[in-house]
Amino acid sequence: MPHSEHFSKQYDSDLEDVRSRVLQMGGVVEAQILAAIECFSSGDTERMTEVTDTELRVNAYEVDIDDLCVHIVARRQPAARDLRLIMGVSKAVTDLERMGDEAEKITRMARLIHERKGPQIPLQAEVRRSGDLAVAQLRRALDAMARLDPDEAERIISEDALIDTEFRGILRQLITFMMEDPRTISTALEIIWVAKAIERIGDHAKNIAEQVIYIVRGTDVRHTGKERRRSATDEGA
Amino acid sequence: MTSAWTIFLLRMIAIALLALIGGALFGLTGGLALACAGLLLVVMSHVANLSRLQAWLKQPEGKSLPDAWGAWGDAFIALHRLRRDEEMQRERIVADFEVFSQAAEAYPDGLVFLDADDRILWCNRAAESQLGLHGEADKGLLIVNLVRLPRFAEFIANARPGESLQCRPLGRKDLDLSLEALRFGKDRKLLISFDVTQIERAATVRRDFVANVSHELRTPLTVIAGFLEHMLSEPDPDPAASRQPLEIMDGQARRMLSLVDDLLVLSRLESEGHALREETMDVRDLVFDVADEARRLSAGRHSITCEVQPGQLKGSREELRSAFSNLVTNAVRYTPEGGRIVLRWALREGKGVFSVEDSGIGIAEEHLPRMTERFYRVDRGRSRETGGTGLGLSIVKHALLRHQANLEIDSELGVGSTFRAYFPAWRVTPKGGAT
Repeated sequence: MPHSEHFSKQYDSDLEDVRSRVLQMGGVVEAQILAAIECFSSGDTERMTEVTDTELRVNAYEVDIDDLCVHIVARRQPAARDLRLIMGVSKAVTDLERMGDEAEKITRMARLIHERKGPQIPLQAEVRRSGDLAVAQLRRALDAMARLDPDEAERIISEDALIDTEFRGILRQLITFMMEDPRTISTALEIIWVAKAIERIGDHAKNIAEQVIYIVRGTDVRHTGKERRRSATDEGA
Repeated sequence: MTSAWTIFLLRMIAIALLALIGGALFGLTGGLALACAGLLLVVMSHVANLSRLQAWLKQPEGKSLPDAWGAWGDAFIALHRLRRDEEMQRERIVADFEVFSQAAEAYPDGLVFLDADDRILWCNRAAESQLGLHGEADKGLLIVNLVRLPRFAEFIANARPGESLQCRPLGRKDLDLSLEALRFGKDRKLLISFDVTQIERAATVRRDFVANVSHELRTPLTVIAGFLEHMLSEPDPDPAASRQPLEIMDGQARRMLSLVDDLLVLSRLESEGHALREETMDVRDLVFDVADEARRLSAGRHSITCEVQPGQLKGSREELRSAFSNLVTNAVRYTPEGGRIVLRWALREGKGVFSVEDSGIGIAEEHLPRMTERFYRVDRGRSRETGGTGLGLSIVKHALLRHQANLEIDSELGVGSTFRAYFPAWRVTPKGGAT
């Protein structure tokens, strides 16, 4: 890493430490989302509490990392890329924390869906697929953050549309189910929540990828290009 | 060293002599001038050699050492030797290193070398694919940034000997790893990842098997126990009223019996120590025999026909009979009344093919790969009510395996299924001996 004027080993290792912790937090969130999707597919209540418990860890990470960031800014007054790293990382932390919330939302809905008797909606596979896609996006975004690879980040951003398409596909199918049999409406609404949460997770993963580009190149790619066009038709992020 | 001094001394004497002769001929000034010129020549030759040496030292690659006369020449030759030795040594080390890294590369388990800060120094291909690393590009990165399994950071930081971490890499459904971290050298670590997918899978199969057997045995036992309890609680049982429960209990007991029989057959087929009893039999007899059995089971509900080419088959009569009969009884069980079942024996490209075709309910494609797993049922309720044990196709598979034959299943939902067993040519003789 090229550094400007600050040239102390301690400082370097502080910066490395912050990034490393964010990536650790990312790993925890990734596992949490996977567990949440698993809960949705299987209705396994034991894993549901696991997801909720992880939430506490994620929150602790967030507080911890924010604290570290404030300390580095206050003590070292970083400039250029180091400053961007701190800024990008602290934004990524917020995204990760939100993803954790979405995961919890998924398990909450999963519990409702699996506890309800009545007609089921056979969309498990579709929801699962879009969930796997979103988690893969997150994993790739974290990899890009670890390798500081803006090219990969760009690919991730361009592939976010895939998850949106999946989401819309699920929505369409749910509508047909609801029209056919109104008894499925409450379950369908809950599945919409789950699908929406997954779609949001994909968006957050995209945000992290954008932060990677910001850290490496110093260009802000948020709300540019595709994003603007999309938000005109969709409800937006 | 001595030679350099000798040459220097000789030169000085030569210059002094020259100066003396010059002095005698041209006087003092002439002598001094000659001495100076001689010394200058010596110094110039040294400077010239020095600059050649400098030029060579700047870019030693490819160029051979300059030739020189006298002491410089000796020095150059010594330098050349030194360099050649060094080069050879380096080549040897490089070759050794190559061998080592090739060996590590070929190693089937994942290997990652880490430095004191847990940064990646080197990893082999297995580690790349198992842990999602990018070899060269990831050198110098912290391993915990790339392997973000929740418990991994703690595990690698401690690196306790003998401790292993069982995990499934995030997002990989087909891979179970066992990780071990070893310390070596000065603050270095070696991370080893073992692919334990097969072992895990085998453990799951074993667990499932025990659970399935217990479940399958428990169901009929519960029925029997329930009736017995009921009958015992009746103070004065009416023999006529107890007829039906007794019949049901009898049916359940038979089911357990057939399950245990099937389990025994399966375990005998699986035990490798047990040699195959080779005998030659007439295929026609075997197929007709099996067809008769099927007709008894069907009791006229299906049309069962045989199309058999004459031929002989080598193998264990008992095992083949059990395999064929399982295929045929399956066809009877899963074909609705009025359906058609055809048993065939034919030769195809030298191979013997036994096939059972039915017009039954068919099997959806997603079930086909798992059909021969023990207790795998497409539809739990239905297969039990038709009297299957869930072991039939496993028995078929194992019996065929022992005869180097393989099983092929073609099926379409609602249309019917065809099960084919292919026997290798050497087990088959086209014409029957006596028949």
